[in-house]
Formats: sequence, C-alpha cells, structure tokens
Amino acid sequence: MTAILTEGLTKNFGELCAVNGLDLSIDKEIFGLLGPNGSGKTTSVLMLTTLLTQTKGSASICGHDTRLEPEKVRDCISYVPQDMAVDTNLTGRENMLIFAWLYGIPNPKDKVDELLAVMELSDRADDLAKTYSGGMRRRLELAEALVHEPEVIFLDEPTIGLDVAARRNIWTHIKKMTKKGMTIFMTTHYMDEADQYCDRVGIISRGKIAALGSPSVLKAHLMKDVITVTIEGDYSPVQLDGTVFVGQSDDAISFTVENGREALPLLADVLKQAGNRVKAMSLREPSLDDVFLQSVGKQEEPKGFEEFKFHMMLHHRGH
Amino acid sequence: MKGVTTYIYRDFIRWIRYRVGVISSLVLPAAWLLFVGLALPVTFTGNYLDFITPGILVMTILTAGISSGSLLMFDKILGFLNKFLAMPVPRESILISKILFISIRGLIQATIILILAVLIGATMMNPLQYGLVYLILFLFGVFISAFSTTVALYLDDHDSFAAFTAMVTMPLFFTSSALMPYSSMPDWLSAIAHVNPLSFAIDAIRDVGTGSVPVVPILLLLVFTAVVVVLAGYVFRKVTV
Repeated sequence: MTAILTEGLTKNFGELCAVNGLDLSIDKEIFGLLGPNGSGKTTSVLMLTTLLTQTKGSASICGHDTRLEPEKVRDCISYVPQDMAVDTNLTGRENMLIFAWLYGIPNPKDKVDELLAVMELSDRADDLAKTYSGGMRRRLELAEALVHEPEVIFLDEPTIGLDVAARRNIWTHIKKMTKKGMTIFMTTHYMDEADQYCDRVGIISRGKIAALGSPSVLKAHLMKDVITVTIEGDYSPVQLDGTVFVGQSDDAISFTVENGREALPLLADVLKQAGNRVKAMSLREPSLDDVFLQSVGKQEEPKGFEEFKFHMMLHHRGH
Repeated sequence: MKGVTTYIYRDFIRWIRYRVGVISSLVLPAAWLLFVGLALPVTFTGNYLDFITPGILVMTILTAGISSGSLLMFDKILGFLNKFLAMPVPRESILISKILFISIRGLIQATIILILAVLIGATMMNPLQYGLVYLILFLFGVFISAFSTTVALYLDDHDSFAAFTAMVTMPLFFTSSALMPYSSMPDWLSAIAHVNPLSFAIDAIRDVGTGSVPVVPILLLLVFTAVVVVLAGYVFRKVTV
C-alpha cells in the first residue's frame, strides 16, 4: 500500500490557488518538497496531515482517505511543524511523556527512555528544555514524533535555523528512520540538503509540481556543465548555439552547455557584444539549485508570501 | 479522557513552573479582600467581610477565566495546536482541557480566599454550604473560560485579545453587586447590576451564606454555561477544520 497518494489535490483560498492539482505517489523513501515561499509547500503538508480540507481532489495516507477517515490517518502519521514547538519549562522527558500519554502507547516510560537514547538526549533528559540548543530541541521533536511508531512522518523545514553540525546530525537520524521502513515527507529551502539526502524531490512553483524525480535524474536532464555569469547592471538576453539559458537569480545568470570548456570563451564574446558588463564567469557541474532555478524561474518577490499569509489568516478567521 | 487529563497535566505543570504567575494570581485577590474588605469604612451591612467575600471570589474566577483564551491562542501561535490536531486524540479534548484547567485553577485560588476570609473574621459556613459555593464558582468558571476561549478563537491575535480582556473585566466587576447591595446603588447602576452575569453568581453565593439553597440560579447558571460551551465547541470545530 502506498504511504502517500494524492490525486488532483487542490486548495483555493478565495481567488488564490495555493495548491493546484497535486499528483504524488510516495512510499518508503525520503521525499523533499522544494519551492519558494508561498509556492504551496505548507498548504500541501497541512492537507496531507488533515489540518486543512482540500477544495478538490483527494489524498490518502496508508490507504486511508484524509477527508473520510482523518482519525485513521492521524494514527499512522506524525507531524513536526517548523515552529520548534517544545514546552521550554518542561524537561525533555516530560515533553516526551506527554506525547506518549496522548498516543496512549503501552509502557510509556520505557518507550520514552528508548527514544531519548536514540536521539542522544539521555544525559540531558531531566533538564528543562529551555536549556537545550536548537539542534537538541529538534531532536526532541523527532523523538516525540516517533513515539507511536508512525508509518509516515511529515517534517516542515526540519533543519531551519540550525548550524551545520546540528543539521548533519538531524539528517543522520532522519536517514535512520527510513531504514526502518518509514516514509518521510519533508519541505526544505536547502537545495544542498535535498540533493544529498532526499531519494526523490518535487519542485513546486505557484501551486504546481514543476519537476519530480531523484536529484541525480533531474540534474541529468540539464546538460553536462553549468556556466554561471555574474554581470553588472541589467542583463540583455543572448543566443548561442549549444547553450541553454537556465535562469537568473540576482546578478547571476546560468546557462547549461554540453561542453563547458569550449563554450566559455564563445559565451563571453556574445555577452559582451550584446552590451552586458561581465564581472565573472564560472564553470561547474549542475546542482539541484540549477534544476530549481530552471523549474521555478525568477525567485518570487517576498510580496507573494505576505499575500499568501494574509489569505491564510482570512481563512483561519472563518471568512 | 486520557487526552483531557494529559492536556490538563501539561497546562498545570507549565503554570506552577511559572512562579510569578502563581504568586500574582494569589496575591491580587488577597489584596482585594484585605484592602476592600477591611479598610473601607462601610456602614450598609453588618459584617462587610461576609458581604464582600462572594464578590471577591467571583472576581477571582472572572480574572482567572477571562484570560483563559490566551492559553489556546499561544498554543496556536507557537505551533503546538497544529501538532495536537494532527494526533489521533479527539480534537475536542484540547478545548475541554483548557476550560477545565482554568476552572480548576480558579477553584484553587478561591480556596485561598475562603481560608483567608475566615482568618480575618468572616463567618465560617458548614460543609454543604462550601460545596454549593464551589459548585457555583465552578459553573461560573466554565462559563467564563468557554466564553473567553470563543472570543480568543475569533480574534486570532494576542494584542486584540489583551485589549478585550482589559475592557471587559473591570467594568463588569464595578457594575455588579460585588461591592454594595442593590439598595445602596443609584438607580442606573442597580439596573445594570441586575442583568450583569457576575451579580448572578455573587447573589447565588450570598444566598448560600444566608442558609438557603439557590436552586433556580444554579439551574439557570447551568443552562447558560451549557449554551456557551456548545458555542465554544462549534467555533473550535469551525476554526480547526
């Protein structure tokens, strides 16, 4: 049975279409949903975790429809939002026990001890959570999420705001969970992490999936090399046989080419002729960033995010 | 049921760990009792302490209960609510636990006031009377905290909610029968006091003090409370689709 299955999953907030016809089939893997702010990542997660009802389409988790059998869905999932919601005036153990009791699992004390050990929190278990570092709080949340041995875990930006070491540590733990047959559905902004750790990624832009597949396959769709050009002032577009424009972010413009070494001087000439002031050029292998840039296009302005939040707010007020 | 008791346990631990909050919630009503009950040169009743104590009790439940909405609001703002809503625990148990926790916490504060009142000269009542007082205070606590939670779910941001509670609490208290009997009030105030829900609970407790059992007020309070709880449940379900 597929862990997560969606068919034409759609959510409208009034005029705004936050998620538009999502078709996904995810099972026993780490799936990363990538996209700019306001692209529909969180809305998708909220629908899959039964916190929001879709406008159209359907979703099922472990064979249970999210709308028809929400209780059964909640039985087999865990959801860790990005807010780091840990009771700071409670100890790590107390935080965990509350979740164990809420899920009604047998032998809550033993289970809590076991998971605190798994997450390397045993020696700090009886300290108040407010003395924990960001990485420890995140691990505590992961431990809470594992208490009832869910089949699917939803993680919203699991490594946001953490330092490099803590991020790597969190990923090690997430990897371990999939080894036990769990399905991980996560959203992230960090392309390098998605590239390194996700089995498959979906890039979502304006509510629609723009690219779907394993990072290596997606990268292979681009040509062999990527040339990034830093320019001063506005970019006037150029055409050169054998090079494909990928996208622009700030003053960096990317192209893919089959043979970078040969194309580099040619591209420099063409750019100069078109009146561009080239500051620097670099040649490298494609990364998930390039795939992202190509699928999403120019990064959306923060304005789109505010508008989206505003709509969410209106929705929550019941208008 | 397991859900309700666990949520109450969580809020209770969080409350007692926040020591300033505990102390302030006990000091404030005690200060009222001492300063107003003992210091005011009042001549319209025999034992003014006996008269003022029900007023202070109900005021305590009011101030404790009216802010209860912020508990759920903070759970929502900080991301706890979404975690809890994604669990198999019946969702209503979140709302029920908040209302019960606030009401029970109010009764703990009320106990301190009742003890203090007797210590400084109020008349001791019999166990049945105390039982009735607790029943009335509990119903009133559920009434107020369900009302407050409903408002909090609608308002959705903490500043508006704080403004709302400040606006409601003091006017409600001063236009009730807490401080003086209806006979000593100007006509306009007496008219307002008669329809004030606070007076309703205060008068019922005073009736208990005189030895009667206020069956009708208790039943009415029960009906009002049930209505507000159903309303709170409706709004909660609507907000958490």
